[in-house]
Amino acid sequence: MVVCRCEEVSEAEVRRVIRMGYHSLEAVKRVLRTGMGHCQGRGCLRLIARLIQEETGIPASEQKLPRPRPPLKPLPLGLLRDYRDEE
Amino acid sequence: MKSSADVVVVGAGVIGAATGYYLAKNGLKVLVIERDFPCAGSTGRCIGGIRAQFSHDLTIRVMMESVRMFRGLSDELGEDVEWYSGGYLFLAFDEKRKQAFLDAIAIQKRYGLDVRFVSPDECEKIAPGLDPTGLIGGAHCPTDGQANPFKVTYGYLEGIKRLGGRLVVGCGVRHVNQLGDRVVSVTDAKGDEYACNMVLNAAGCWADEVGQMAGVKIPVTADRHESLVTEAVERVFDPMLVDYRSDGCYFVQHSGTGHFIGCYTPVPLVPGHNVDATDEFITEMPRRMVRLVPRLAGVKVLRQWAGSYEMSPDGNPICGGTPLRGFYVSGGMSGHGFMFGPALGKLMAEQMVDGRASIPLDEFYLSRSFGKAEAMK
Repeated sequence: MVVCRCEEVSEAEVRRVIRMGYHSLEAVKRVLRTGMGHCQGRGCLRLIARLIQEETGIPASEQKLPRPRPPLKPLPLGLLRDYRDEE
Repeated sequence: MKSSADVVVVGAGVIGAATGYYLAKNGLKVLVIERDFPCAGSTGRCIGGIRAQFSHDLTIRVMMESVRMFRGLSDELGEDVEWYSGGYLFLAFDEKRKQAFLDAIAIQKRYGLDVRFVSPDECEKIAPGLDPTGLIGGAHCPTDGQANPFKVTYGYLEGIKRLGGRLVVGCGVRHVNQLGDRVVSVTDAKGDEYACNMVLNAAGCWADEVGQMAGVKIPVTADRHESLVTEAVERVFDPMLVDYRSDGCYFVQHSGTGHFIGCYTPVPLVPGHNVDATDEFITEMPRRMVRLVPRLAGVKVLRQWAGSYEMSPDGNPICGGTPLRGFYVSGGMSGHGFMFGPALGKLMAEQMVDGRASIPLDEFYLSRSFGKAEAMK
């Protein structure tokens, strides 16, 4: 099953990495890029939190979410530059 | 006493991981203790550039060795570290910068580096789409490159485990314990004690905090740098572009995926461990990138983040022993820790095992005067 569509990461890969000792959403993100693609984690984070819970027993509700990083929705360089110029 | 090791490495960034790996290869029992998780600090926030174009003799020599090691690193670690030899192109927009590049090239050539000063036309050929307005040339080294900081660090850490070493995550070191004039153990935040003969302080931006535990002052301070990454697009060009103007920037296209990734050094600097992202950067960095390469205007930004440079007073690393016997430091990488990783890892392991590295590191010792600043920071 594909867990992260943006970066094409499977459930098996996520479980393998958790078993290697990466026990948080931030840590898994850095190994597999889950949450670093177009959707910025909106699609995959809840699924991965559940996998971490299954593998480690850490309840999903107690897991720290990765720090949200702008712009949240992809925006063109040219648009962001113009925003600056208009200020 | 919970357990023992020959060496306790404090910090699982690239420096701790690489040095730990070469220590383990030298037959030592290595324990890496990481407060958070691997790559949680500067390594996991860097943009992955690797270059030998510097102005300091020792830095050039060490970095040429690092480039040589990066070429074979995927084979060494059994993990594709995404090394790609796309080169670095430093841009000169005024005579003073051009002269600084020419001076550095003269030193680099003494060590056999494949580097030269190129015309604006050649710059455009090396980086198609570059706007040459105001450009008077560039310093180009085609053997510089890029790799994936995560893959490199995880590769080294897995290598340490294969060689019989251990990695403990989620719990930092709290005390460095001494008997007489030497290190005998460390105690972590949970109160567990690990006996050891040597400790390597590879705590990056927190090197001074760890140094204080051993009564050793490490002159390293954190400066915030922000970065962004774009969506993946078809190949535009190979090199890392470096624009040293006060409102310049540096960025590279990732060889495998096609993402552009880059950052700039803020003026004035932003000291401290704060890694928040700012509105100023997310609008200013696009202006600087599109000014250099107008055709990137339509490429979308995926995310921005921030990380810290661990600055030393002269911009060069601090590597070697300290007044406390058995307590070593490898830090103060000043924004170049990832690219230094393989070579300084190997050389520091030699220093700790044999008392002398095959490229002597004296000019990086903690005891130096810090008087001569690196010109190509």
